[in-house]
Amino acid sequence: MINKPYISTYQKNRHKRKVYTILIILFFIFVSFIISMNTGYIRLSPLQLLETLIGMGTEQQNLTLFEFRLPRIVISILVGMGLALAGCVLQGVSGNPLADPGILGINSGAGLAVVLFISFFPSTSDVPVMFLPLLAFIGAGVTATLIYVLSYKRGEGISPTRLMLTGVAIAAGISAAMIILTLRLTPENYQFVAVWLAGSIWGSNWMFVLSLLPWLLILIPYIFVKARVLNILNLGEVTATGLGVNIEKERLFLLAAAVALAGSSVSVSGGIGFIGLIAPHLARQLVGGKHQFVIPASAALGALLLLIADTIGRWFIQPSEIPAGIVVAVIGAPYFLYLLAKSKA
Amino acid sequence: MPTLAIDQVKVGYSNLIILDDLSVEIPEKKMTTIVGANGCGKSTLLKAIARILKTQKGAVYLDGKAIQLLSTKEVAKKMAILPQSSQVPTGLTVYELISYGRFPYQTGLGTLKVDDLKHINWAIEATGLNALKDRSVEALSGGQRQRVWIAMALAQDTEILILDEPTTYLDLAHQLDILLLLQKLNKEQKRTIVMVLHDLNHASRVSHNLIAMRNGAIIEEGTPKQVMTRSNLKAIFDIEATMSTCPFSNNPIYLSYTLN
Repeated sequence: MINKPYISTYQKNRHKRKVYTILIILFFIFVSFIISMNTGYIRLSPLQLLETLIGMGTEQQNLTLFEFRLPRIVISILVGMGLALAGCVLQGVSGNPLADPGILGINSGAGLAVVLFISFFPSTSDVPVMFLPLLAFIGAGVTATLIYVLSYKRGEGISPTRLMLTGVAIAAGISAAMIILTLRLTPENYQFVAVWLAGSIWGSNWMFVLSLLPWLLILIPYIFVKARVLNILNLGEVTATGLGVNIEKERLFLLAAAVALAGSSVSVSGGIGFIGLIAPHLARQLVGGKHQFVIPASAALGALLLLIADTIGRWFIQPSEIPAGIVVAVIGAPYFLYLLAKSKA
Repeated sequence: MPTLAIDQVKVGYSNLIILDDLSVEIPEKKMTTIVGANGCGKSTLLKAIARILKTQKGAVYLDGKAIQLLSTKEVAKKMAILPQSSQVPTGLTVYELISYGRFPYQTGLGTLKVDDLKHINWAIEATGLNALKDRSVEALSGGQRQRVWIAMALAQDTEILILDEPTTYLDLAHQLDILLLLQKLNKEQKRTIVMVLHDLNHASRVSHNLIAMRNGAIIEEGTPKQVMTRSNLKAIFDIEATMSTCPFSNNPIYLSYTLN
């Protein structure tokens, strides 16, 4: 060996800059968190907010903050993280920067399960609400499995391109089925489904936080550990094999993790798209291509984006509100087009 | 037992069999080049050696053990692969990409240890990339990128290097530049190099050992002097060649040729 081991100051500074970037995003989440606690039909001034937080608020303030607003904010943050990480993993596994959890049929599968349930049990409208996350999750899982099996080819395994194309085809089929099913719904049920599909973060109580949290607590550390593998998968199949990555196995587990993350997120938030596309992409622009940084930055940006979107949705046309999914789509669709226009291929 | 032996392998894609009952040994610490016409199975053979394609029958033996039975990470510590074209990831510096070569040795979150840094710095030095190491990989020219990929393979610290047409897409000077770099690595580091090259004169110039293929079978194998003959070129490519000698390597080269 000729040289003493060293890392150049450039690399060290690059490293530091990435850490600071992530800290700045976390700071923005904190600020949005506070603004979001103020925002809504019932205004809470900063002073009232402080009083309520330290346990000196009125009953109405307590109810608003602890039973409605806080769980909703926490869910926005968790769902944003979940969807962003799912997108990050999918983009890493497929090598396609435009991949999004929607492509694995997660949104459409979850939506179909919800529509099916409501169209078969239209009268028991109070009961299904508690079942919906579970149903949506099963719908997402079944669809993702179907897409995986259909794009599997013996001897060759899963090719990302085939996976994407199968996903698009299945999603189109499911959308058609959903339109037929929704035609038969009563107006109230139809409205519920429409709001669900638009991604309204409807499940805003602590129970839904608890149903989402275990998934994130298991899957987020798993994805962090797989950062190195995602780095290598990005180099293409041959190079990845050469570096000792068991491609088939890693792909399967990472896809399953992405489905579980996105499925559990969508089940409490409704059909929110684009977060999984935008957050990882922005993250790569900000912190470069190494997944050790892209993963935390994506999670933080996803949380920030959805929190902001939900806050805007609550504030914009009071006393009514716009579903967060719509706000995200309004920002996301032009950004997606911008990405397409900019991509070289 | 040589480090790398191919024993009666049958390889193909789904129902299409490309190689059947093919056996060959790769000499240790030498440069071996596989040559042949388009579609003769040379890339398939290279992919089978590199465990990219699974053998349907027979096996590739690495240090006497069937490669499919070894853990892929263990193989990655002995054998590095450079594909014909690689996906260029976005947002990486040259240094970062080369550091990915340490993957088989890393655990957990992948913090680079002293040993990793040593190998990365050595690989950068050996490929002359010191001035470029903080540049973005996307901003490099084709020849520079190929050097980066080679550096990544070197950082992997393997006895065997496998390269699929490492000079494709490069101009004349950069082609030779890459080949001489490989030759230097073979001489100074005693690394076993196996590659596919299209340019016969280049293959003849730098290789110790040539494997000539046609229709999925090996027609001739040996030193450039044994393989690069007029009659062999006719058998391999159906061409009528005028032969000469390379003034730099003293190995045979073709001067020009006509179709048979």
